Amino acid sequence: MNDFNVFHTLAWPGAYAWYFFVIGISAALFFFSTLSWFRKEFEVLRTRAFYGSFATLVLGGLLLISDLSQPLRFWHIINPAYWNMGSPLVWGSILLMAFGALSVLYFLALRANNNGQAKALAVVGSLVALGLPVYTGFDLTVHQHRPVWNSSLMPVLFVALSLVSGAAVASFLSGGHSDLLARLRAIMSWSAGAVAVMLVSLMVTTAYGGSASELTWLFMTSGAMGMVFIGLGFIGGTLVPVALLATPTGRAPVGMLAASVLVLIGGIALRYAILVGPQLVHTTY
Amino acid sequence: MSEELLLSSRETRGKPGLRRFAMVIDLRRCIGCDACMVACKAEYDVPLGVFRTWVPYRVVGKYPNVKKQFLPRLCNHCDDPPCVRACPVGATFKVDDGGFVLQDYERCIGCKACMASCPYNARFMLPEHRTRTNITRVVDKCTFCYHRVQQNLVPACVQTCVGRARIFGDLNDPNSEVSRLVANLPTQVLRPEEGTKPQVYYIGADRNQTEYGRAVYQQNDFVESERAAFNRKHGI
Repeated sequence: MNDFNVFHTLAWPGAYAWYFFVIGISAALFFFSTLSWFRKEFEVLRTRAFYGSFATLVLGGLLLISDLSQPLRFWHIINPAYWNMGSPLVWGSILLMAFGALSVLYFLALRANNNGQAKALAVVGSLVALGLPVYTGFDLTVHQHRPVWNSSLMPVLFVALSLVSGAAVASFLSGGHSDLLARLRAIMSWSAGAVAVMLVSLMVTTAYGGSASELTWLFMTSGAMGMVFIGLGFIGGTLVPVALLATPTGRAPVGMLAASVLVLIGGIALRYAILVGPQLVHTTY
Repeated sequence: MSEELLLSSRETRGKPGLRRFAMVIDLRRCIGCDACMVACKAEYDVPLGVFRTWVPYRVVGKYPNVKKQFLPRLCNHCDDPPCVRACPVGATFKVDDGGFVLQDYERCIGCKACMASCPYNARFMLPEHRTRTNITRVVDKCTFCYHRVQQNLVPACVQTCVGRARIFGDLNDPNSEVSRLVANLPTQVLRPEEGTKPQVYYIGADRNQTEYGRAVYQQNDFVESERAAFNRKHGI
């Protein structure tokens, strides 16, 4: 080695990818529970999807807190006196608290069979839920010096990833209802297709960026990270499920469930690669 | 710099009535003795494996015409610091008079958003165990020796630099040495394209050092394994 530099660590390790994953699923499942008030075929998901949403929300919150190096100070981020409104993390904490509160109210309304109130809470909750993948995207986007992260595609990509992962989980909760599976298949296909288009766009832009972008592209498309990003995420977790869902096998419940498994593996792989890949080059600077 | 060039309300360079401290590093005078690193470690009891200032080098040229290029690094105390913007709880803040970017250890939650936002890798997580202080598991960084500057002393690294390669002073004072150097000599800053307005100016920096190079991608595997071992050991 003719060069010397000190070690720099990744700012955000892989644990955040799991947080992005579960919080995206939580938001999408709540959305599907809301759809049950407007689309008959989703009725079977009303409570199941909601319970799934709440469980993943709690899990996401725990993951987020446990990843702080000072977890006992998590209350600082929910203390308005400390808020720096310029940070997307603050908006995330507000959205998480609002979503948690709305989820509890929604649960109470469901238990009381108060359909009018439950429907209204579901709609408001869905709008707040939409903010969860959007803010996670902005969490990355605002770091202007990071290739891939600093792209206006990030919030939209995370919404699409949230929908596709949520639809995959919902397909396991569907109880085999064919109408519902058909709807979920359409949602999965279109959102996974959108993810594929955005990933191609992102990678081409990155490959033709400056030196940091180009090196990031090299890191993300070759070696171990290439296997995760291109192999598991893009091909195995996005293109293959889209192709599978378009075939007669994919229209059958078993094919749909197989596609859902692939989509979930791809979902975590993509989030991991998008989170960690753009940090690799910078650890050497 | 004229005031019209200010783009954000945080910027204090050129603002009347405020000091804007900056450092000029004259690479023609740096001999790579690492005394600055040692002085900084001694001043703050900086733990093993992490650095407030560090001196990477690159060997360039072809034998027999080779040389080591040093590039002392530290927090750039940006005039528009992205870490201040990123910190959700206001634990990172900029002192208007002087432009110091500092860290409130009691408020930091360790979310590492500031580390993610820093284009200069100037921030690090303090390890769990320290010998002489109980400030642990929060993000730390160079302070431009705020406590020394308040007592009209220069930062420890500047004080100790044997080649007088590091010069510190108030850029808003046109008669200061740093103002004269920046005005009269060609200087470079790191990653100016990020818009952070870094306040560490280099004289004689080479693009080999200041930009990413392809060597990054062709690193030897042992660097990564050593980094992984270091992270494991320090619970990072």
